[in-house]
Amino acid sequence: MPATPIYIICSPRPQVGKTLLARLLGEFLLLKNGRVTAFDINFKEPSLLDYLPGITETADVIGTYGKMQLMDRIILDDGLSKVIDLGFHAFDEFFKMTEEIGFLKEAVRRNVAPIVLFVADTDRVSSRAHEMLRQQIPSSHLIIVDNEFVVRGELLPSMLHGRILRIAALPTFLKTYIDRLTFSFTGYLRQEQDSSTELHQWIRRNYYAFRDLELKLILQGS
Amino acid sequence: MAAKPAVIVVGADKGGVGKTTVSRTLLDYFSANNVPTRSFDTESPRGTLKRFHPDITEIVDMTVTADQMKIFDTLNAVSPSVTVIDVRAGLLSRALASLRDIGFLDAAKGGQITFAVFHILGPSIASLDEIAETANFMSGAKYFLVKNFINDTPFFQWDQATYNSYFNRIKDATDLTIPKLNEMAYEQVEVASVPFLKFVANKGPHDEAANYSFVLRGYVRHWLANVWSEFDRIKLTDIVGSAKPSVRSSEK
Repeated sequence: MPATPIYIICSPRPQVGKTLLARLLGEFLLLKNGRVTAFDINFKEPSLLDYLPGITETADVIGTYGKMQLMDRIILDDGLSKVIDLGFHAFDEFFKMTEEIGFLKEAVRRNVAPIVLFVADTDRVSSRAHEMLRQQIPSSHLIIVDNEFVVRGELLPSMLHGRILRIAALPTFLKTYIDRLTFSFTGYLRQEQDSSTELHQWIRRNYYAFRDLELKLILQGS
Repeated sequence: MAAKPAVIVVGADKGGVGKTTVSRTLLDYFSANNVPTRSFDTESPRGTLKRFHPDITEIVDMTVTADQMKIFDTLNAVSPSVTVIDVRAGLLSRALASLRDIGFLDAAKGGQITFAVFHILGPSIASLDEIAETANFMSGAKYFLVKNFINDTPFFQWDQATYNSYFNRIKDATDLTIPKLNEMAYEQVEVASVPFLKFVANKGPHDEAANYSFVLRGYVRHWLANVWSEFDRIKLTDIVGSAKPSVRSSEK
């Protein structure tokens, strides 16, 4: 049996595209598997819950009870892919907790595969956070997200060595378009007849990248 | 096996400083290191330690001669080489005075018995004031000042003069630090009434599979590892005369 994936989308910085990525990935998994559960750990940023209310639950990692509610659910090998949209304010607490409770070891034991999608920025806080993650997460499970809209082709040299997921920048008018709460990526693919539009290709490119990520995960596990 | 019997007294005169918690970590530590151990719980008549380690714990009243005999007259006769005594609040000074009176402290000084005292300290002046009194009984004993972080207060480390007046005054005492355990994790183990080791292994009192929170088990495992690293630091298995195995049974 392939391991149950948990995608942890994170950054210590606000406004780098975590929720956008969580939306894309959530919709991709929903399209491919028919079901997915997402956890929104955001209090201060645009919320995944607002975009995908049907598959998203809120979670909290500040208190112990909240940690139990989240972690005791995601550690289950139930075949249900999970996406965590981890707000920047919860970054340190979350990874301190995962280190303390031995999350990665337990995940291996239970056939669960955490994949950390670290959304890069070019500042010192991101650099330090990336270094911390490198100490904690095996390189095969740590993916740098190079969001062109944020990084503008200047990914830090220290982040160039790992696995990288590139997200191309969209023109501002399209960015505004997809930021609407009612917008659905899969819905757009289904409704837009013209597959040559920039947005159509952008969504498909990202969905292919997710599929590629999944395949690598399966190959690693086999 | 130990060459000679070892007695570890865990106590404090002040209550609520975590004596039984430390006793439990010791019993788990010896269990994981395959050191045969028995323990006595002086919370007579109900007992707290016995609730967690019923198979190896006996409840005694240390103020009663018959129970003192039960503990000390059997040191050489029984097979477990290590005896842990969890002395209830308010009884440490009296217990040590009794040990002096029956000649036990002299036997320790003479090297016939290994004797160690884990004096559990809370972050209050009342607790730290006990050190001077207890230290009077410590010749011939290994004396450990156990800073038990039951909350986030720093044991006066922000005031070096006060700190030194307590912790650096007793020449042969060794400091130990017990970090704070997550409150919910602590309470969950309380409810489960099992040794910390069983909780970490997700087992019930009779080794049956349990369903404790993975998060709380993780916190307990992390905390217990930190506590045990302190026991490793003071070479506790060497002190009680047992060669430490290269791999603990819990780590296999």
